[in-house]
Amino acid sequence: MTIVLPGAPADPQLPGKPTAMGLRFDGGEGDFVRLAARGALLQFVTFGFYRFWLNTEVRRHLWTHTSLDGDHLEYTGSGRELLVGFLFALAILVPIYLIYFLIGVEVERFQAFGSVPLGLFTLFFGQFAIYRARRYRLTRTVWRGVRFWMQGSGWAYAVRSFGWLLLVIATLGLAWPWRAASLERYKMRHTFYGDLGGAFSARPWAFFRRGVWLWLLAATPVLLFIAAGMAYGMSEQERSQPAMALAIAGGVMSLPVPFIWPWFRALEWRWWASGVRFGDIFLESDLRGAQILKLYLKFAIIASIVSGGAAGLMFGVGAVIVERIFNGKADFDSIGAIFESNQILLVAGSLVGYLVVGLSVGVVQRYFFQREMWTIVTRSLTIHHVESAEGVAARGEAANAIGEGLADSLDVAGF
Amino acid sequence: MTTQPESDASFFDGLTNRRRAVRVRLGASLEILEKDQLIADWPLDAIRLVDLKPDAMRLRATHGQELARLAISDEAMMAALTGSCVNLLVEDHTRKASTARIVLWSFAAAASLLAVIFYGVPLAADRLAPLVPASLDRRVGEMVDSQVKTIFGDKLCTRADGRAAFGKLVRALERAGNLDISPAAEVLDSRTPNAIALPGGRVYLFAGLLDEAQSPDEVAGVLAHELGHVAHRDGMRMLIESGGSSFLFGLLFGDVTGSTAAIFAARTVLNARYTRGAESQADGFAIATMHALGRPSQPMGEMLFRITGNQRGRGPGLLASHPYSEDRLARMKAADGGQSGPPILDAAEWQALRNICKPEG
Repeated sequence: MTIVLPGAPADPQLPGKPTAMGLRFDGGEGDFVRLAARGALLQFVTFGFYRFWLNTEVRRHLWTHTSLDGDHLEYTGSGRELLVGFLFALAILVPIYLIYFLIGVEVERFQAFGSVPLGLFTLFFGQFAIYRARRYRLTRTVWRGVRFWMQGSGWAYAVRSFGWLLLVIATLGLAWPWRAASLERYKMRHTFYGDLGGAFSARPWAFFRRGVWLWLLAATPVLLFIAAGMAYGMSEQERSQPAMALAIAGGVMSLPVPFIWPWFRALEWRWWASGVRFGDIFLESDLRGAQILKLYLKFAIIASIVSGGAAGLMFGVGAVIVERIFNGKADFDSIGAIFESNQILLVAGSLVGYLVVGLSVGVVQRYFFQREMWTIVTRSLTIHHVESAEGVAARGEAANAIGEGLADSLDVAGF
Repeated sequence: MTTQPESDASFFDGLTNRRRAVRVRLGASLEILEKDQLIADWPLDAIRLVDLKPDAMRLRATHGQELARLAISDEAMMAALTGSCVNLLVEDHTRKASTARIVLWSFAAAASLLAVIFYGVPLAADRLAPLVPASLDRRVGEMVDSQVKTIFGDKLCTRADGRAAFGKLVRALERAGNLDISPAAEVLDSRTPNAIALPGGRVYLFAGLLDEAQSPDEVAGVLAHELGHVAHRDGMRMLIESGGSSFLFGLLFGDVTGSTAAIFAARTVLNARYTRGAESQADGFAIATMHALGRPSQPMGEMLFRITGNQRGRGPGLLASHPYSEDRLARMKAADGGQSGPPILDAAEWQALRNICKPEG
């Protein structure tokens, strides 16, 4: 809220303009489903290479239908850039994997855990990739002809992220808020919109205080089951009753477990939004766990219907083909004989059926976890003092997509 | 003079984020005027569509400020621009022509990857395997060795007279086959009727096979087959082949939903294809070696057939790691050169070999 002191002249530039406003999302549901379905089909036809263009289309759809203060965002990335980034990432990763393979042969001779360091390397390098991929997406995000951009080092971020992760593991997750705050501070203080610098000011303690009960809810059943196991292992006579009681208690305490993750996500998001700053601009979110839970449930229901339908359809198509071949005189032996002599057909047929089911579920997944998630998240946001970003000057260059390529290869890609 | 289409628009100059209320006038070029002052003049063929909605379009130009944007919501002007700007849509990859190009290039990429997987990788494995230093081969062999011993037990059969007979048999085959790697062959006390060759030249004959065998020639054929794997360095070749092909398959399918299973299926089929090739080559080696010793090649095929029975029609041959036993028998029968040389082992040595796992004395 702008407080107008008595006697001071009201800002002539902003007559009656609200200082708190929401992000609007006005993308049509049908448009997105069509886009995702077309993309899935093309991915199928192109052996998956279309993913670079599909990801670009999805982002472009979400960005261009999201508006702030009457002007829509713009996504300026292209599928070709992602493809080039992917090829660069390959050129980096292939020699690394090869060297790793050779070292692994040496190490495996002495111990069975020779492959663990590769997992650690992937984890570490993945953090680097995440940072660089964020930079790519950010520098392709434009609002009112001025781009967002980012500085900072992917390596410095990876070291932070990895170090904090060790601490989080050591504290069984309790250090998570401090990790999140440290990483967000690093990301946001290197983030800019034009010449307007970002910052992150949310306190980890606030996150911890609001989230610790979720941690307790998750930890209680685990502790009860461990206690039940220990009680069972104690003395012969009195083992059954306390063990049973503890196990039942553990079972009862497991009931809220499905709620923990959505509530945690919502809490983290609200906390994150409350900490973001761009100059005088600050955010606020009223995202609720119930919204996320509802989204998960809807996804589960629709995905099972769609995959069941697709599987049924493929099975039906197969049955019709067999029927055609045998002209209604099919018995199991002759079908078996046909498959025996056409094994390539059988394998290819089941592979196609499997991929069709997988791709249909992929469309549902994109709809809920990209479009619907984007919708509830953007609609939960209130942005204060947007007017203070008036007249921001353009700065920053578009970054390359190698980070995206690495993230794609290392399977840490987000949007 | 005809009237030129004109409308209101919003202009972002790409220097600051200020929204400027402008008039646009469509003539030989698109003139952008602010308070009757010309602030930008875009040639029609330089104009590109940023995005289009039913009630608004955003445009940019290929020259000037990279992020300068013009937002128009006047219907008549939108229609006029769509008609006049010839290159409006050239960068839109969802156009039919662009999508077709992506699909075509993907086909080309997939075809070249598949060609590499089916022909390039086996060829590379053929050429690379002999170049891999023997020491590396042995290291890989030691890795596999410990796994083999976990599965089949680590008890070797060491009765002295049996070992002497076994050694004689292996040396005879080694000489006849002209091996440049000296194999380390042992009899493993396992009831499974099988024999395996590991990278680095280690060969295990399972005692179960000795129980099944009816003549020294049967065992000699199987051992010659395993020595064939050693001679071709099939262990290292398989490692290169399966590693290379699974990496390339991963490239091909990327992160398509459900691709993991597709990759797994493709790899399984392909690896079976590779091993069938290697097995058939090893059979060829065994036949040639038996010929060189003047011994028949048919007995080995007969024993294989005795152990496995008819294989055709039992499970998909596409996934089979070996050629069908009946086909192998037919091949060895056809190539059989009869008995022109002396028996490799005499009756006493044969008896000793069969008892190699029995306690001494």
